[in-house]
Amino acid sequence: MRGEPLKIRVFHMKEVTVGNYFYLEADRLIIPDHVACQNPDIEQLTIQVLPPHHHDVRTNTIMDIIPLSAKVLGLMGTGITHTLTGVCVVLCGAIRDGEQMHEFGSTEGILHENMKWNCAGTPKKEDYIILIDMLAKKDCILTRKLCLEMFALADRFIQGIRELLKIMDGRDAVETHVYEEKSHPGKPRVAIVKQVAGQGAMYDTLVFPQEPGGFAGGISIIDMNNMPVLLTANEFRDGALRAMV
Amino acid sequence: MGIGPSTKETTKHYFEDPMVKAFADDPDIDFCGIIIVGTPQDNRMKHLVGQRTAVWLEGMNCSGAVISADGWGNSDVDFMNTMEQIGRRDISVIGLKFIGRQAKFVVENEYTRQVLDINKSAAGIETEVIGENAVAAVDAVKALAAIKLVMRKDHQRT
Repeated sequence: MRGEPLKIRVFHMKEVTVGNYFYLEADRLIIPDHVACQNPDIEQLTIQVLPPHHHDVRTNTIMDIIPLSAKVLGLMGTGITHTLTGVCVVLCGAIRDGEQMHEFGSTEGILHENMKWNCAGTPKKEDYIILIDMLAKKDCILTRKLCLEMFALADRFIQGIRELLKIMDGRDAVETHVYEEKSHPGKPRVAIVKQVAGQGAMYDTLVFPQEPGGFAGGISIIDMNNMPVLLTANEFRDGALRAMV
Repeated sequence: MGIGPSTKETTKHYFEDPMVKAFADDPDIDFCGIIIVGTPQDNRMKHLVGQRTAVWLEGMNCSGAVISADGWGNSDVDFMNTMEQIGRRDISVIGLKFIGRQAKFVVENEYTRQVLDINKSAAGIETEVIGENAVAAVDAVKALAAIKLVMRKDHQRT
């Protein structure tokens, strides 16, 4: 609602390493390099941490770049959200001896050659990258179901970080941003219309996931017959939209 | 055709969206929100979702709208239709889309010239490099300036 502020608290990670379990401090994150996967379609799932400037790594096509953010209090667009900077997830995927997980234009190869760094939507060169690379079994077909399974699996792993992020002490945050939606009566009324993907495998968009930029609980625009949905600026800033292209 | 790597907006892009950043805090406009609309497969639905978007903008009493798309090709049909539906209701409209040298419009109408190109690659092509052509702060500022100008012009005409 207008007048209800959204507070985003930022924790900046100076070190991300691989260990046996999830562990989060104000400036340090440890993640495990495995996730329980009972999915019969997924043959291999690798999780690596790439330190800053070490991006000379061969990957499958980049399916998404996902921020690490968790809802602490309130509904999406209001209350408190915690978010990590200095680190993000790069999700990659392919089918063994088959297609890369993409709809139009693939980015498999050396990571640093396939990414324009420091842009809106891409990591900084100084950031840590949690690289999740999935390989579906040979002879799997690139279907919407397979894509959704991969996104869901990555989301389950990320949730491990989110659960710790939720219980961080707000006083340890390095930055706090308070967003208030203001009306400017008398000025011309302007809206943004975003045309998003909504046709099938790797051409899909979710709204209203349970966590900011998450997957679980999200509603696919395809399942809503691509009908328009209205979001406030704060809902948008709070990760109400999730890319699946 | 669909959404190429260089124009695609990742979840991180949505989280720190340059358009929302530029529009939501501008004191010269009364910002109403963001309408998310999909790109259906069949023609009837393509027209219907564009029309519903425009009806909504009209109901919200908007003077202007900026429509952006991260894909090109077949989705131009949806894009140009939605622009036309918005324009027909006397709402000023600006589009934001990848054109470059590669993505000339599949369909055109009187609003085509009000579409700004988000291409940033030297060759004007889908470079298959993530983030290279995606909407950046500079595109958002251009779109904001453009919609203000078009609204002023359209207002003087009536």
